[in-house]
Amino acid sequence: MIGEESERVVVRLTDVRKEYGDTAALDGVSLEIRAGEAVAVMGPSGCGKSTMLNMVAGLDRPTAGTVEVHGEDLGRLNETGRALFRRRRIGMIFQFFNLLDDLPALDNVALAAQLIGTPAKQARARALELLDELGVADRRNTYPAALSGGERQRVAVARALMNRPALLLADEPTGALDSRAGEQVMDLLIDLNQIGQSLLMVTHDERLATRCASRLVEMVDGRVARERSLERTP
Amino acid sequence: MSAVWRASRAAVRRRRLQTIVIGVVTGLSTLMVVVALGLLAASAGPFDQAYARQDGAHLVAAYDRAKVTDAQLAAAARRPEVAAQAGPFGQATLGFVIEPGRPARQLTVVGRADPGGPVDRLNVWQGRWATGPGEVVLSRNPVEPPPVPLGAPVTAGGRSLTVVGYAYSVGGSAEAWVAPAQMATLRPDTVQVLYRFTRAATEAQVAAGQAAVTAGLAPGALLAGRSYLVLRAWAAASAGTFVPFLVVFGCLALAVAVLIVANVVSGAVVAGFRHIGVLKALGFTPGQVMTVYLAMVSIPAVAGCLAGTVFGNLLARTLLTNAFQNYGTGGIGVAPWVNVVTLLGMPALVALCALVPALRARSLSAAEAISAGSAPHAGRGLRIQRRLGGTRLPRAVSLGLGLPFARPARSVLTMAAVVLGVTSVTFAIGLAGTVTSYQKSQGRADAVQVEVLTAGGPGGTRTAAADRADAATLRSVPGAAQVTARADLVVRAAGSTQTFMAMFYRGDPGFETLSGRWPAAAGEIAVSERFLLQRGYSVGDSLTLESEGVRRPVRIVGKVLMNTGNVALAGWPTLELFAPGTGADAYEVRLTAGTGAQAYADAVHAADPGLDATPTDNADSFVAVIIATVTLLTLMLGAVAALGVLNTAVLNTRERSRDLGMLKSIGMTPRQVVLMVVTSMAALGALGGVLGIPVGIVAHRFAMPAMAHAAQVAFPDRALDVYHPPVLALLVLAGVAIAALGAFLPARAAARLTIAKVLHNE
Repeated sequence: MIGEESERVVVRLTDVRKEYGDTAALDGVSLEIRAGEAVAVMGPSGCGKSTMLNMVAGLDRPTAGTVEVHGEDLGRLNETGRALFRRRRIGMIFQFFNLLDDLPALDNVALAAQLIGTPAKQARARALELLDELGVADRRNTYPAALSGGERQRVAVARALMNRPALLLADEPTGALDSRAGEQVMDLLIDLNQIGQSLLMVTHDERLATRCASRLVEMVDGRVARERSLERTP
Repeated sequence: MSAVWRASRAAVRRRRLQTIVIGVVTGLSTLMVVVALGLLAASAGPFDQAYARQDGAHLVAAYDRAKVTDAQLAAAARRPEVAAQAGPFGQATLGFVIEPGRPARQLTVVGRADPGGPVDRLNVWQGRWATGPGEVVLSRNPVEPPPVPLGAPVTAGGRSLTVVGYAYSVGGSAEAWVAPAQMATLRPDTVQVLYRFTRAATEAQVAAGQAAVTAGLAPGALLAGRSYLVLRAWAAASAGTFVPFLVVFGCLALAVAVLIVANVVSGAVVAGFRHIGVLKALGFTPGQVMTVYLAMVSIPAVAGCLAGTVFGNLLARTLLTNAFQNYGTGGIGVAPWVNVVTLLGMPALVALCALVPALRARSLSAAEAISAGSAPHAGRGLRIQRRLGGTRLPRAVSLGLGLPFARPARSVLTMAAVVLGVTSVTFAIGLAGTVTSYQKSQGRADAVQVEVLTAGGPGGTRTAAADRADAATLRSVPGAAQVTARADLVVRAAGSTQTFMAMFYRGDPGFETLSGRWPAAAGEIAVSERFLLQRGYSVGDSLTLESEGVRRPVRIVGKVLMNTGNVALAGWPTLELFAPGTGADAYEVRLTAGTGAQAYADAVHAADPGLDATPTDNADSFVAVIIATVTLLTLMLGAVAALGVLNTAVLNTRERSRDLGMLKSIGMTPRQVVLMVVTSMAALGALGGVLGIPVGIVAHRFAMPAMAHAAQVAFPDRALDVYHPPVLALLVLAGVAIAALGAFLPARAAARLTIAKVLHNE
């Protein structure tokens, strides 16, 4: 049963092309991610890795090709359909956290559940649980401006996990953190993957890739240049 | 081109939406101010303007042809009191049949060689002057449609004449004109002379002038002398009704303009802090930065102000021309000082609004300015936002409700604009309700739908038998619910030279009694508020009336709702005191439900061609103009308030584009984004509605009695009672609607935001 689950394809990109004017940001990318995998995408600036992440998150549409996530062809969904898809299936972590400045940590986390209609009390209880698991429960009433970088990213991770997403997307999750906070976030991602959370991260940080990912995808000029499996380094 | 100018132009181009909002808001505000000030200035003297343009007669004198000679009249014109004289013109009163099949009407016709001259220069606004035999020019106000086309034949005293033109005299010197040679064939028994006096500002001065020109004439030579001050008083009463509500609207327009401009401009400056920081970093001096900013705001403001002034003049001219019935002399324009004040004042106001935040930007260091241009400071209204997050409201709604607290000053300015917008709507609805209620009551719309004149016309001496026969005919025509007979007599109060009309009713004419009671018994009369004010009487006073040598004492027993000061009402028993046995010369008919007034009138004409039945026109053009003006001003104020909201919503969503991107990334749907942004403004709108309604009601309570006083009319109390619960509920919604309309476009733009762009553009 577990074997079947791990064979299930969560993300399938088939010959995806994305053009901005005359420039092709993605040029025929095909990629599969199976359930429980942790995939890191690396490459120089402008190689198309963030564009690919946006396609998987449903933040943007491909010019050609198909993007399927959990069997759903995102190219066929309208704006509302993609929003509904994101809130149920996707959790996102950003380099600059993107927390709402005027809500405390607890309410930032609860927000994701409240948007799908979960009552405030239940949403806050689940948010507190997550903050506790991520070690920042004592900072629940603190506003983002008063949190450290590592704490902010933990809060952002908690928010991403709020609706139990099938896929966690991370865009340079350690890019704005000092090394110690970066290590803490890496440990967190490893822990999440070990309990079965599928993970797709985009990074420049080789250490993040080798520590957290089981597979590395290298991109150059909008194409997948190389793929290889990784042995996680401690 | 200097760097400052280049930077200013670039800033204007880059902030296209803000430039448009500043331009449109200043444009609409200027337009409203021009209209309000223009109407306000003109309401003081459109009659004087029109009268001066025509050199209208201060005194229209009618002499008995048998008792004066032309030499005597010419000698009188040389008196020092006389500034100019026109005439003598032959004058006669003839029965005119203008529309075929209608009964003859008595019209005053004058023989004049041309429409010009030193006094009473007529406005021949259609066709030409009557120069040959068989030609006639009819008097008609240019704003009214001509009764028959040019070239149509009319009958005057049994002779056939052709209508060759329409002319208008502000002083109402005649109802028709013919060439002098034609006049001679009509056997004039009266001579008309028109005078302008050197001093004619008061009734006493006009009376002195009249005494001077009639000195030495045979007794009874002057048949009638009409002072222009009578017309002027009537015009002032009509125009005066405009003044109080224009004061209210003018103040509202100015206040809204100030608020919105302040909000838009300060918002533009605050949103441009980052840009200011960059300019400073490039080496612009604080003074240059401030100049760039003032120029950026002033360019669209000046353009808007110019456009607003032009369109304001066009609109005000149209309104003035309609409001004051044109007085037949061509359009009435906006006073030049109004244009000077707005063209200088509005840009100065905008610059002043921009100066304060620009000075603030000037004092910031480059680094501070750049950081100040990002999202609003955390820590504002946090407790409220937190509480809202814990409520059962949908999260998009609770987030929206919390948004205004992030920028409290901007929200307060926006809300104040909405308050004034709702105040305008409240005031406008109250005004329209009161005026309509008044008009319906004074026009007796429910009591009289058709008026029927008999062949003898007003003032005729008809027998009781003819009266009974006509009344029976009218009752026999299907659709008549009630036929009220009326007889009119020209009367004067003993000791006074002024005549007025006494209307005697048999039956209930349906006048609303404001105080006292209906004069049912012999020797009782009821009059209007204006009648009492103009003659200094009160209900309960007694006076002696005189008509054709018969004098009878009467007592004023009631004050009725009536928009004229020259009519006294009485019952049939009082008519018997003055003219026993007189029959009715007119009838007022109330129709059964479902009967068309025109259909009934046609049926009456078919039954007896001698009866002239016409549907009563209850729509007063002046009331229509007031309602149209108030509606237009309200729509403009509402639009400007909505633009203020739009501007605030644009600033808020742009500042929060990163937050919006994040919310969308975690699954906020476009509809939820729209809901959140619209809610943020609708909350201000609802609050603005609640605050604006009482202000509007107070304005209504203040302006309506002032309008009534100026117009010399009395309202029944119920005419002020126009704010019923459903209306109030709608008014609260008006605030929400203004805000929601203003917020919708920015909300939709926010919903379409490209998440990838805003989240990765760090």
